[in-house]
Amino acid sequence: MNNTTYMGIEIAMRGLYSSQRAMANIAHNIDNTNTPGYSRQVINQTAARPLLVANGAGMLGMGSDVVGVDRVRDTFLDEKYWSEVQYLGEWSVKATIIEDIQTIYNEPSDFGYTKIINDFFSSLQSLTTDPSSLATRAMVKEKGIALAKYFNSVAAHFDHLQDDLNNMVNAKVEEINNLADQIRELNIQIHQYEVMGNKANDLRDYRGYLVDKLSQLVNCSAYEVDTGLKLPNGEKETRFVVTISGKALVDHERVMHLKCESRETKLNEEDIENLFEVSWEDGNKLNLKSGELKAYIDMRDGNDGQIGSNGESTPNCKGIPYYQRKMNEFVRIFAMAFNEGIIDIDGDGILDNTEGHVDGYTLSGNTGIRFFTMLDEYGNPLSSADFEARALEYAAKSGITDDPSTPWDERLVAGYQKITARNFSISFDIEDDPSENIAASSKAGEAGNNENLNKLLAMRHNTYMFMEGAPEDFIKTVISSMGVDGQQYNQYLDVQEGIVMQINNRRQSISGVSLNEEMTELVKQQQIYGAAATMIRTYGEILDILVNRLGI
Amino acid sequence: MRITNNMLINNMMQNLSNNLVKTQKYFNQLASGKKISLPSDDPIVASKALKLRTDVAEINQYKRNTDDAMAWMDITESTLNHMTDLIHRAKELTNQAANGTNTDEDVFKIREEMVELKSQLISLGNATYAGRYIFSGYKTDKPLLNDDGTFNINVDNSEQIKFEIGIGDNININVPGSDLFNRTITGATAGSKSEFVDTFDKIISALEADDKDQLSSLLGDLDDELNNLLRVRASLGARMNRVELTAGRLEDDNINFTRLMSKNEDVDIAEAIMNLQNEENVYRASLATGARVIQPSLLDFLK
Repeated sequence: MNNTTYMGIEIAMRGLYSSQRAMANIAHNIDNTNTPGYSRQVINQTAARPLLVANGAGMLGMGSDVVGVDRVRDTFLDEKYWSEVQYLGEWSVKATIIEDIQTIYNEPSDFGYTKIINDFFSSLQSLTTDPSSLATRAMVKEKGIALAKYFNSVAAHFDHLQDDLNNMVNAKVEEINNLADQIRELNIQIHQYEVMGNKANDLRDYRGYLVDKLSQLVNCSAYEVDTGLKLPNGEKETRFVVTISGKALVDHERVMHLKCESRETKLNEEDIENLFEVSWEDGNKLNLKSGELKAYIDMRDGNDGQIGSNGESTPNCKGIPYYQRKMNEFVRIFAMAFNEGIIDIDGDGILDNTEGHVDGYTLSGNTGIRFFTMLDEYGNPLSSADFEARALEYAAKSGITDDPSTPWDERLVAGYQKITARNFSISFDIEDDPSENIAASSKAGEAGNNENLNKLLAMRHNTYMFMEGAPEDFIKTVISSMGVDGQQYNQYLDVQEGIVMQINNRRQSISGVSLNEEMTELVKQQQIYGAAATMIRTYGEILDILVNRLGI
Repeated sequence: MRITNNMLINNMMQNLSNNLVKTQKYFNQLASGKKISLPSDDPIVASKALKLRTDVAEINQYKRNTDDAMAWMDITESTLNHMTDLIHRAKELTNQAANGTNTDEDVFKIREEMVELKSQLISLGNATYAGRYIFSGYKTDKPLLNDDGTFNINVDNSEQIKFEIGIGDNININVPGSDLFNRTITGATAGSKSEFVDTFDKIISALEADDKDQLSSLLGDLDDELNNLLRVRASLGARMNRVELTAGRLEDDNINFTRLMSKNEDVDIAEAIMNLQNEENVYRASLATGARVIQPSLLDFLK
């Protein structure tokens, strides 16, 4: 039997070391309680390699040994989190933007579209009761301007919002690239540590945290792939890969960035200039399924699935181009009906040519004046005649000719496509001299004749003017469908918040630091440390007897 | 399940924030008096609100139109009333001249009065409402009759000024002068003599000639003019009646629709206050429990 003198004291010292390591670990855990992405670590402690006793009496225990530090983490929950948080990102962005859009319309309120159009028609009604009144004519002009300006202002707000969203798209792309770079750095560091047989717990936590952030921005999946090699500690060597819709954003130490390029041609005709097209750095098309980036792009480009200029369908979502298109549709049809009387009056889907403002007569007996036209490049309203000239010019350029079999001029109808919510305006004629140029009468030289006005007013209740019905129905439909969208986004957001919260709670439940637990552990380790120290003291006393008292 | 400190804190924060969202909702309702502030709060309410606003605005405009129509028709009616009196007086005078044994002086006086009545008739024919000639058809800026009783302008019986007093409900508010001043001829041409005034002219010439037979037969003409006037008045009266009925209905509609609008979008104050109070209680309770749960840990007892 080879029982050496100092063996006991050695074993006790190992106990001291073990509990010291454990207490240091507790300190580390407590320090990082609030570190985002941190998962608690535990000491991997085993009994030390035993000593074989030669006489066959068995193995002699040699105390404890700390062989590693592990993090407590359920990677399944990580994957689950990553697959759900992307929808949280998408819906929270969409819910916010649709709120912005609703604010632009400012409905229901006493200052929105309904008020403006009611006022406009009311002023026309007042004019029917006294068509010769110059004061009422001036009022009709002002209400006409208010109507046009409402659309101008809504369109301008949409333009601003689209510009903001475009900047957000760019910012999010940069954020994604930045995260990808950071993940790549961490991949290299983690690999370096682990190739030497260590576990890079904290770095792995941080990498997971970055993927958490990335997942909110874009639909991505992250996983480790075997390289086929073995690490010195016998575990498999892996590479960390992050993909977006199957294409690798980060593949261990290689990164493929995303890029933003200004579009040469607009995707939707309603768009503002120079919107960014997001693609892979190598020129491949980026296929987005969810995440904040997609939400910004959807709301920026979404035209309810209409085919865009590139021949592909736009995002199937009612974004800014959709609302711009609806506003343009409204002003075009409304202006054409009001000016020319070209409108579907019987619901057969074919236009009819009835009396419009051009068919009426002004106070001094002039005719052929349009009430609404558009602003020119300098922001001044076009006169009725200039508008007609431009319409014909545009038709000639687009190769549209008048079909004599229809009771309207196709070239003129085409010309109305030039009007948008942005440039909608009352005509220069009305702006310049409303007392003369409003055509209330159906005959020259009849100051009290309101027949033409009555015909214009009747259009207000023409339910065939738009697909959606009368002018007010049209806007009502736009606003309520916007409301339904907003409600839906908020509901999706609520659901998604619940799901993400729940997954996060489960992650916290497993990986989070519990102070009670750490304190208990601390007390336990303290006791063990004390006990081990007592062992050493006891051995000291024993050695004292052996060395000092057994002597001569 | 293992509960960690951050879970407790996160859950508490989440719940507090949920409570505040609800509290804010009721607070907004009370502060604005409206159930919703954005269409997405309740698209149905929003869409109804838009419809009802339009309805109320239209009803108000129709009400203004009926007021204007009534004012115009009142003036017309009182003018027609004067004309009726005028015909009665003319009949009386003609009767007197045709039957009695009048001295030349009497006849002369009667003639003088008849001339006066004629010019009064012409000025009634040129009556105005707010500067507009009410019998001039669409040419409201021009008088109907010249001083000699000829028409100043062309007027057609179809020149009916229409006001909208309901959706698709137009009512003509004027009496075209041609209908009133030309009994047998349809329409009036500028320069031609009004039949109505002409009857007076004939009586005046008969008085000048002291032609009693002629006067007797002209009495019949006066009766015809009176009947024509009464026909016009009857039609105007019927239309005034309709406008009045419509005005009454619009008044009711206005109240009903305004009430509907309020019911649709205005908040029930009592209910909102109760909800707010409720949320406040829940909020206080969760603050109180939160404070109890997150503060202590084993640390506090390891002394």
